[in-house]
Amino acid sequence: MTGLVWGLKSLGRHPLRTALSLAGIAVASAMLLDMVMLSGGIEKSFSELLLARGYQIRITPKGTLPFDTEGSIPRTSEVVRTIRAEPGVEAAGAVLGTAVYGRTRDSLVTLFGYGIQPEAQGIYQVTAGADLAPGDTLGILLSETAAGLLHTSIGDTVTLAGRLDPQIASASVDRRLVVRGLVRWIYDHRGQPSVGTVLPVMQRLGRDAAADPGSLLLVKAADDRAVDNLAERLRERFPALEVNSVAELVVQAKRRLVYFTQLAYVLGGMSLIVAVLLVATLLTITVNERLGEIATLRAIGVSRGTVVRQVLAEGVALTVLGSAGGILLGLATAEYLDAILTSFPGLPATFSFFVPRADTLSLAALVLLLTGSLAGIYPAWLASRAPIAATLRAEAT
Amino acid sequence: MTRSPMLVARDLRKDYPMNGEVVHALRGASLTVEPGEFVAIVGPSGSGKSTLLQIVGGIDPPSGGSVELLGTRLETLNDRALTHLRLTRLGFVFQRFHLLPVLTARENVELPMAEAGLRGARRRERARQLLEYVGLGHREGHRATQLSGGEMQRVAIARALANRPAILLADEPTGELDAATGREILELFRRLNRDGTTLLVVTHDERLAAQAGRVVHMLDGRIAAETTAP
Repeated sequence: MTGLVWGLKSLGRHPLRTALSLAGIAVASAMLLDMVMLSGGIEKSFSELLLARGYQIRITPKGTLPFDTEGSIPRTSEVVRTIRAEPGVEAAGAVLGTAVYGRTRDSLVTLFGYGIQPEAQGIYQVTAGADLAPGDTLGILLSETAAGLLHTSIGDTVTLAGRLDPQIASASVDRRLVVRGLVRWIYDHRGQPSVGTVLPVMQRLGRDAAADPGSLLLVKAADDRAVDNLAERLRERFPALEVNSVAELVVQAKRRLVYFTQLAYVLGGMSLIVAVLLVATLLTITVNERLGEIATLRAIGVSRGTVVRQVLAEGVALTVLGSAGGILLGLATAEYLDAILTSFPGLPATFSFFVPRADTLSLAALVLLLTGSLAGIYPAWLASRAPIAATLRAEAT
Repeated sequence: MTRSPMLVARDLRKDYPMNGEVVHALRGASLTVEPGEFVAIVGPSGSGKSTLLQIVGGIDPPSGGSVELLGTRLETLNDRALTHLRLTRLGFVFQRFHLLPVLTARENVELPMAEAGLRGARRRERARQLLEYVGLGHREGHRATQLSGGEMQRVAIARALANRPAILLADEPTGELDAATGREILELFRRLNRDGTTLLVVTHDERLAAQAGRVVHMLDGRIAAETTAP
């Protein structure tokens, strides 16, 4: 035990040097941690976002992803009725996304309009006031940003305009609606001014209502294990539509983000190498400085094994201490970088690039621990092989 | 009943390369040490004193000849067995003390006992007793760097005695000390020998050699003469 104490106390022999090395290891560990969080974070965050309200299947116009294009699903109400009648379907609802305009005293404000079926919706959460009742053609839901732009609050009346004619800057359709509640639209980017009405109202405001268009259908399966099977049946039933389970969308997203993952692996690997080099360099220097001590220990009967364990313990201690700082630094950096990345236009505000996961964090910690041990192998070998007599002779002269 | 010798070194030779040439550090040195003896090895620098001590202490292999310590031929032992023998049967004291500066006096003394597997409380207690024995009970919590040269050497002696060695080997133990401090160490060695410790000491210090029961004179890698105290 005293031998181990010697190893650990040796780290305090040159406090500044040890502190600088610890800082280096902390930076490398922080980078590794961030890269680990980044590599799996996008996937996890994306999956959580899509499953936020428990709807496991998305149906969109053929060849598109939700809100990817202006394309729409025709006869949405009929499609939804058919889907709801399918065995194993717990709920299904349609969403229409379109541009609408809000009238203020002297101008029009551009808004994003959601047409929804309140009895089966998976895209918002009420934060204040009340939800729309099914068939409530007089009510409207606003995001905080939209409420701010329209200078309205719950109970006020707002006027929405649709199908603006750019030639005369005049809207073809106007609709007065009462604000029922404030909501957080799950897929909105930060600061997006969005409003929601029941589907028929938004269809009249934004599109050709007679076609009964929808941008997206959400389907909730009663049994999570039956999602793939249900998606397959819906695919067969609606060959003209794109049917994807959330798991499939995550795979597609992963394919699109493969460069992110590769970048994360490469940078993570590099930071790991930096950590190994730092620990190995510091230990090699300290072992070389202490060869006389080590030779003395060997002379008085301390085994090679003990010497090796001491040096390895120093490596592990350095890595553990450095990594502890690295975790704090890594989490702080991840938060900062996340704020920058998620501010990019078009990204949902609730999306996150850096997501801490217990399994990946444990893996990173294990890899770092192994790294510390591996980094100590060469200096430990050097220490255990120090020629006793020659080193003592050199020390005496 | 006759007692077996503690140490028998026969015809020891040691050659090693230096700057492209072979240095003959020992040219056939033989030595026997009986239990309880206090033997001093003296001679000019380069005469092979320290090399002889390192070879009989099992930390440097001879180029020729043999060493028998407590009936065991050292050349028959592998590194592990030799290390264990040094730990349990030999005590070493070096000219430059070689204490670990980051440890306290007591921790330095505990180190060989920890290596030998002696556990916490008993180990600490024995370390305290040894520090008391060398007159440093009051300094047990001080780091090696906070001790004077004489104190460091006394801690080193306590460390050498930690595992109750059969023989204590010392290489110029007063070489780094002033005259007064050297006298304290000398007195400590005398006391150790009186208490039954076998001593083999390499020294330039005539006063220290004068305390030995037998003085071995080395010259040019050989034992040139031996004198026994009257």
